[in-house]
Amino acid sequence: MTNEAVILTHELTKSYGNAEAVRGLNLSVGRNSITAFLGRNGAGKSTTIKMLLGMIRPTAGSGTILGKQMTNAEENRELRRRVAYVAEDKPLYGYMTVEQTIRFASSFYPDWRRELEQKLLRDYELPLGRKVKMLSKGMRTKLALLLAFARRPNLLILDEPSEGLDPVGIEHLLQVLVAQSAEGVAVFFSSHQIAEVERVADHVCILEKGSLLVDAPLDQLRQFYRRIDLVFPFPPTEREFRIPGVERIQTSGHQMSVFASRNAAAVIERAHDLNVVSVEVAPVGLRDIFLETVKES
Amino acid sequence: MLWYKAWLETRSRFLICLATLTLFSGIFVHHAEGLVRLESKSDFNRLLFVNQQFLVIMWVLAVVLLGMGGIVREKALGTSSLTLALPVSRARLLGVRVGMGVLEAIVLGVVPWVAVFFVSSFARKPILITQVASYILLLVGGGLVYFALAVLVSSLVSGEYTAPALAFGIVLLAAMLFDAWLRQFNLWRLVTGDFSLDRSTYLLSGHLPWLGILSSLSVAVLMVLVSTIVVQRREF
Amino acid sequence: MILTGVLLHCTFTVIQLYNMFFKLTPTTGQPLYLQLMQQIRHAAETGALRDGDQLPGIRTLAEELVVSPNTIAKAYSELEHEGLLELRPGSGAFVCVKRRTRSLAERVQVARHRIRDLIEGLREDGLLDEEIRRAFEAELLYPAEIARK
Repeated sequence: MTNEAVILTHELTKSYGNAEAVRGLNLSVGRNSITAFLGRNGAGKSTTIKMLLGMIRPTAGSGTILGKQMTNAEENRELRRRVAYVAEDKPLYGYMTVEQTIRFASSFYPDWRRELEQKLLRDYELPLGRKVKMLSKGMRTKLALLLAFARRPNLLILDEPSEGLDPVGIEHLLQVLVAQSAEGVAVFFSSHQIAEVERVADHVCILEKGSLLVDAPLDQLRQFYRRIDLVFPFPPTEREFRIPGVERIQTSGHQMSVFASRNAAAVIERAHDLNVVSVEVAPVGLRDIFLETVKES
Repeated sequence: MLWYKAWLETRSRFLICLATLTLFSGIFVHHAEGLVRLESKSDFNRLLFVNQQFLVIMWVLAVVLLGMGGIVREKALGTSSLTLALPVSRARLLGVRVGMGVLEAIVLGVVPWVAVFFVSSFARKPILITQVASYILLLVGGGLVYFALAVLVSSLVSGEYTAPALAFGIVLLAAMLFDAWLRQFNLWRLVTGDFSLDRSTYLLSGHLPWLGILSSLSVAVLMVLVSTIVVQRREF
Repeated sequence: MILTGVLLHCTFTVIQLYNMFFKLTPTTGQPLYLQLMQQIRHAAETGALRDGDQLPGIRTLAEELVVSPNTIAKAYSELEHEGLLELRPGSGAFVCVKRRTRSLAERVQVARHRIRDLIEGLREDGLLDEEIRRAFEAELLYPAEIARK
């Protein structure tokens, strides 16, 4: 089973005047993956997603979703039939009741699953007859998510889905994402909850200032990112350690801390060449990978 | 279910306006029949003409309010990400909104006059159906362009109060300017029946300003087309 | 009677499996599927999983552990390559404990003894447990060939 791309963009760019919100983005999201889209606020995540869904027109570049041209209005409309999307602000119509909202949304999608809807209504304990504007924030978040989860789309796009959810809600959200993925739904979500991303994501994309800095399977990041702490008999020179894979070096007296995205072995070999006294290698969690990546850019 | 959504969105406005217009017309004609010494038929007909004057003001107010909303307003409210993610074209979203509004505008024009018809019939001062039909036709046929204007303004301006204020402002300004320089083209006078009135009988004459009505409707269609383009080009 | 007994045994096995608590830690630098593979192997070595036992389906286990189904799928697939699991389409993953695995269990037992002795020795040399642990982790995380005298 090949992991063909459900989202494929080519040099996607969006400029507002002189500011580039998204620059030359080449995104590839696989069908059989849970892909996490990380980035600081304002990095361009929401702008990218809106371009995918036809809400914003790219300044340059192109892309396909489920094989359809995202910049073609008619094709975009067609692909939206098979994509479930929940925006960051979990939009709902305040004047509709929970029941009316569900009836409204379900009428547009042939992939709506009545039994999933029933199960989620029970899990979330949503009052059918209450108007959305009378719901608590947590319930509104759950209803907005339900509109996407009570379906079996080809692609699920979520923008900060865990915002507004308590830990129990977040756990349930992750279980639903996993269940959807197991049923063949491609999952693409952006999140600030790095701990949660680390558990369920297969693939990680890190966006900073509109550019994709990291685009790799999470297992690969786990296997190759290393922090190497070295102690030398003399103050070391950073220049010696500028080898491929080294992202950041910090020195303090006789100590040096090297943050490498790969090639840790070469760093250690170089350290031994320079008579290193102590070598400590540690894995790097996704949070630190993210922080170091956006810091150095 | 887009029609259902459009109905839910405009339901309150529509029903309140419908009740107001109908009650006003019915009560006005009924009361006035008691107050005015109706010596001649023409006095009564003049009453109907005055009713139309009031009705036009209220009807235009109502349809401008009904023309508000749409995805540009939804952007300000924060729901545009939901509506635009639906697998429907922006043209269709606008089309349904316009369709619902036109239906409501027609009902708002018909029902009050039907009420007047029945009130007058019960007071044994029946009106000719042709008169009722003429007033309705002038109001709705000529006046839908005001609705279209509201739709156009609401696709350009998203403020809850600035949009209707701007629309009303344009309506007023147009009426004043046309009256000053191009009186014979003043739509307001057409819609109120001013151009079609026989001053001796105060009946609407048989010759309705078809050209005027057609032009007005054409401008309405044009405005809706422009609104469609505006909405399609806009970024959300 | 026999059927009931078999059903009870199966139910008990499934309950037992859920009580095994596979624990996957995302932050240790080791891919989750490798961790899962190790834990399944360990369960087979210690006898918690016996020949013929059925592991939960990919989707079920993914939801239970709240990890990507790809993690489970990869682990099961690799273990099938190694011969520890048999994946039957439509039925699930079944454990096949072969002779090789049993002798592996014995080797692990021997290794534990050696490690115990080594740790005792290092403690006598004055190293703290935390230092010993870090040294082990450091050695495991990069190929030993690179380490010099």
